Amino acid sequence: MGASIYKNKKPAIIFLIPAFLFMIVYLYYPFLQNIWNSFQNIRQLGSSGEGFLNPWYSNYVEMFHDEVVWISLKNTLIMMLVTLVGQVGIAIVLALMVDNITHGKHFFKTVYFFPIVISATALGLLFNLIFLYDKGMLNQILEKLGKVGLTDWKGEGIALFTMMLPVMWQYVGFYFVILITGLNNISDELYEAARIDGASTFQKVRYISIPLLHNVICTCSVLAVTGALKVFDLPWTMFPKGMPLKSTFLTGTYMYYHTMETKNVDYGSALAVLIVVLGIVLAKVVNAIFKEKDY
Amino acid sequence: MKRFIAAMLAGTMIFSLAACGSQPSDGGVETTGTKTESTTSSEGTTATAKPVELNVTTTFAGEDGNAQNFKNAVKAWCDETGNTVADTSATSDETFKTRVTTDFETGSEPDVLFFFNGADANSFIKADKVVSIDEIRAEYPDYASNMNDNLIADSLVDGKKYAVPVNGFWEAMFVNKEVLDAAGVEVPGADYTMDMFKEDCQKIKDAGYTPIAAALGNIPHYWWEYAIFNHDTPENHVQVPAGIEDAASWVDGMLDIKELYELGYFPDNTLSATDDETFAMFVDSKAAFLIDGSWKVGGIVNACQSDPEDASTLDADKLANFTVTYVPGNGDRKATDLIGGLSMGYYITRKAWEDPNKRAAAVDFVSYMTSDELVPVFAQHTASALKNAPAVDESQFNALQIEAMDMMSGVTSLTGAVQDIFMGDCRVTTFDGMPEIVTGKLDAAEAVEEGLKLYHAQQ
Repeated sequence: MGASIYKNKKPAIIFLIPAFLFMIVYLYYPFLQNIWNSFQNIRQLGSSGEGFLNPWYSNYVEMFHDEVVWISLKNTLIMMLVTLVGQVGIAIVLALMVDNITHGKHFFKTVYFFPIVISATALGLLFNLIFLYDKGMLNQILEKLGKVGLTDWKGEGIALFTMMLPVMWQYVGFYFVILITGLNNISDELYEAARIDGASTFQKVRYISIPLLHNVICTCSVLAVTGALKVFDLPWTMFPKGMPLKSTFLTGTYMYYHTMETKNVDYGSALAVLIVVLGIVLAKVVNAIFKEKDY
Repeated sequence: MKRFIAAMLAGTMIFSLAACGSQPSDGGVETTGTKTESTTSSEGTTATAKPVELNVTTTFAGEDGNAQNFKNAVKAWCDETGNTVADTSATSDETFKTRVTTDFETGSEPDVLFFFNGADANSFIKADKVVSIDEIRAEYPDYASNMNDNLIADSLVDGKKYAVPVNGFWEAMFVNKEVLDAAGVEVPGADYTMDMFKEDCQKIKDAGYTPIAAALGNIPHYWWEYAIFNHDTPENHVQVPAGIEDAASWVDGMLDIKELYELGYFPDNTLSATDDETFAMFVDSKAAFLIDGSWKVGGIVNACQSDPEDASTLDADKLANFTVTYVPGNGDRKATDLIGGLSMGYYITRKAWEDPNKRAAAVDFVSYMTSDELVPVFAQHTASALKNAPAVDESQFNALQIEAMDMMSGVTSLTGAVQDIFMGDCRVTTFDGMPEIVTGKLDAAEAVEEGLKLYHAQQ
């Protein structure tokens, strides 16, 4: 017995098997089935396929000709930029500011993190009331300020902005908390040395905080870009069916729309495959761009 | 001590497993030990000698006006027969339909279900998973004998009748009288035409109100149906055109909606609003007309209650602002020719039928739920298929329900909705594509043609 007990890896493998089986049953098998479904003719959710499509890859051909797929891809890419700039960018600014105050750090941490704990659907309903055309909070405020006529915040032209604003607002706190933890890990001695050398606050941020936050910012950026691909509930709650004029579809909402609304399940499956492929490619690209540095 | 605790835990676990094993295999409530002698339902059908548990799913749940009626009826039936019901009813929506379809696919369908009799039922009828009324009558001749068979819908799959109806539906035009008064417009009557409607809409618009409460980007369904119906007749409406060359009524219907949109009769935000928002405009006296289904009577009444859950909080004066009337007619369709009928009914599944313990109970349950006494309770102001419908006690109903009954008494025909057979992605171009059609981004004829092609490709 003795020390050999530590060399025996069998128990570890046995304990890994349940999680592995869980992943097989609930992730990899459904994914492979989804690929299979994308070649089948399935006209109702819950029903099995009625044979292969003719030709079997026709859904993928249709995707290239589907104008709304391109709209949803464009919107998803815009969403990624918004998450990068609006979420990570704002979170960096907030984290740096909060890190530089002596009192109320915990208060601001809680305040900025709070939106994360609210469900996206609830937030969608909340922002629906804020942006409501008739009697909405925003239009009422504008009316009080003297604006004549109501603004349709969900109308063509500004719908995308209205949709992305709450998504951006919701996740700022998430990246803020990660970044402020990163800032806390920077040694105070560095700031002290800089102060003795006569560095200004801006110089301390420019030459100490941001360089040493590089890896944390990279992690946040990867999370933000890949997370943007999964944004679904809030946009769907606020803009069901890509309203107005299918201009607010994201890849996720468009996939859901075809699967659940139009019952074109096989096309929805093909869109799901597109999302996975897009996710893998983008994750690779983002990892390459935001490469972490060794210090 | 550790050994004692371990032995105790092991003993507890064995006891728990043994207890689980004594449950019936279907996971239902254990009914042994509550044996009763044979019972007879109100219809006189002999129920099973041994109490059974029926798995039942319906749409009488949530905000459905008959949810409480159903609960009461189930309780009364259970008390009367000694049987029990595992009720998995849910609000009628796409999730419910999907759940039912999936249950049939996986062999976990209920014993009895109250479900749609249109294209939604095709999959399980094709799979022979429900029993036709004729097959049941071969063994139970009195089954649904109180119903007028001509009013029971035929299956789209094989033309047989499967679902015993209870309450029907109608689609008509709700009117906000306060808005009409302000605009100097009379409440439309039985001879209302589209030309008169457009004149009234212009007056209402000039008075600063929105004439039509509708969210074309969200729920264009009612306008879609009636716009097409206005170029059809009650005889030929429920037929999907074979191709674009036969679809003049469909194209003209879409163009009618486009015209109303261009005239500015829909809300300013009709393309981006939800149905709830436009309904709120109607209830708040900002819009005059609302075409919707019989289920909206409950919605309007709820909106007139300070507590939607408490009927005693109803503001009768506010409710008096609303009435319901006929939809403006055109051509061969009179205003009094409405969309409506009996689109749902009780099915008995093959699984329950072939279970000797459940067959009689399932038949008895459906017979009870579709009896002459219960159908009027559920049907209220809508249609029913009863041969001898009893007189309705109007004191039980609110003002809007009574006006709905008056309106129904003048109906010249009830025609099914063609959209109930035109389902799936074939609808996309004209339903979800309605904003593109009315804004001229998509040609109405092209949209109709594409939808028809998809429909026929699926047949």
